[in-house]
Amino acid sequence: MALDQAAADLRPLKRLICLGCGFSYDEALGLPNHGIAPGTRWEDVPEDWVCPDCGTPKSGFEMVEIGYATGGAELAQRA
Amino acid sequence: MPSPPASPPAPCSFVLRAGERGHDLIRSDGTRASYIAGHPDAFITRDSSFNFHEYQNGRPGFGSMRVFGDEVFHGVGCGYNMHPHHNFLICAFVLQGELTHINTVGGGMVDQLGPGDYYVFSAGSGGKHCELGITGEDTNIIYIWFLPAQLYLPPTYSRAHFDGRTGRHGIAQLVGEADGALPIPNDIRISRLVTDAGSKHTCTPRSSSHGTYVFVLDGDLRCADTVLARRDSTGIWGVDKIDCEATADSTDVLFVEVAMTGDEVVGR
Repeated sequence: MALDQAAADLRPLKRLICLGCGFSYDEALGLPNHGIAPGTRWEDVPEDWVCPDCGTPKSGFEMVEIGYATGGAELAQRA
Repeated sequence: MPSPPASPPAPCSFVLRAGERGHDLIRSDGTRASYIAGHPDAFITRDSSFNFHEYQNGRPGFGSMRVFGDEVFHGVGCGYNMHPHHNFLICAFVLQGELTHINTVGGGMVDQLGPGDYYVFSAGSGGKHCELGITGEDTNIIYIWFLPAQLYLPPTYSRAHFDGRTGRHGIAQLVGEADGALPIPNDIRISRLVTDAGSKHTCTPRSSSHGTYVFVLDGDLRCADTVLARRDSTGIWGVDKIDCEATADSTDVLFVEVAMTGDEVVGR
């Protein structure tokens, strides 16, 4: 169990984008203003969670490999 | 040992007929009244080339393009009430009617766009907008959304006009890096061609790893070996050029060129 968890923690942290409005979820940053702690894996975000901006369900998010503009990560953490 | 050079991508394409697109009719009533403006009589029709909202039985996108919506606002005051966006690069091309666009970018502005007008809104770190047809005439708009090259860019908005008379008979670039085109923060070019029957043109992507989505706004076009009618489209990648010939007068075509990322799942 502990070994499994350790292995799981080595997976790279993901970024996802809402295909309904463009809101992004970053596992590293979480969404502290919406009660999701930094480091929360996407699969650990509740299944009934929806985009706080447009209501799109989790299934309407797409994983992306896109970096932040300068200062963008700090803004994203406060979203 | 150096690895061998990557082989060029094989030519690939799909054809999407007008009637095969996802079709939604969204009324400004019930829970939708806060989303769709113009309550109670207004409604929006939306034909989606790619999966969007309720429509999820088609292709997920094309390169960085995720949304290509052919929308009509019906009824006085119809449109989208004020709503937020992040990150997406949103382009709108007004084909018919009048669009009143209220946007929070740059301290806020109210813009009015008519046929031939178009805008590029990079939502970046966040912005809100409201889009309305206030004259009562049906408003037909092509909406295209792209993923950006970077997340949380400073939001920007710019607009321009395409003149189908002076710009006739040549492929005119409207968006992307070029003189006179609106800038957009990703590897994207959008061009438009208005021409008459018998006119032949060659669309030249920047490389064979760029894909081109060809959408016929009006008229008829032979594109490569495919005959496209009004609102038909094709996506083509892995080629150096695309030969087109208008087969009807006043044929009007959009070309959307995007970098293909190699993991396209477009052939559903």
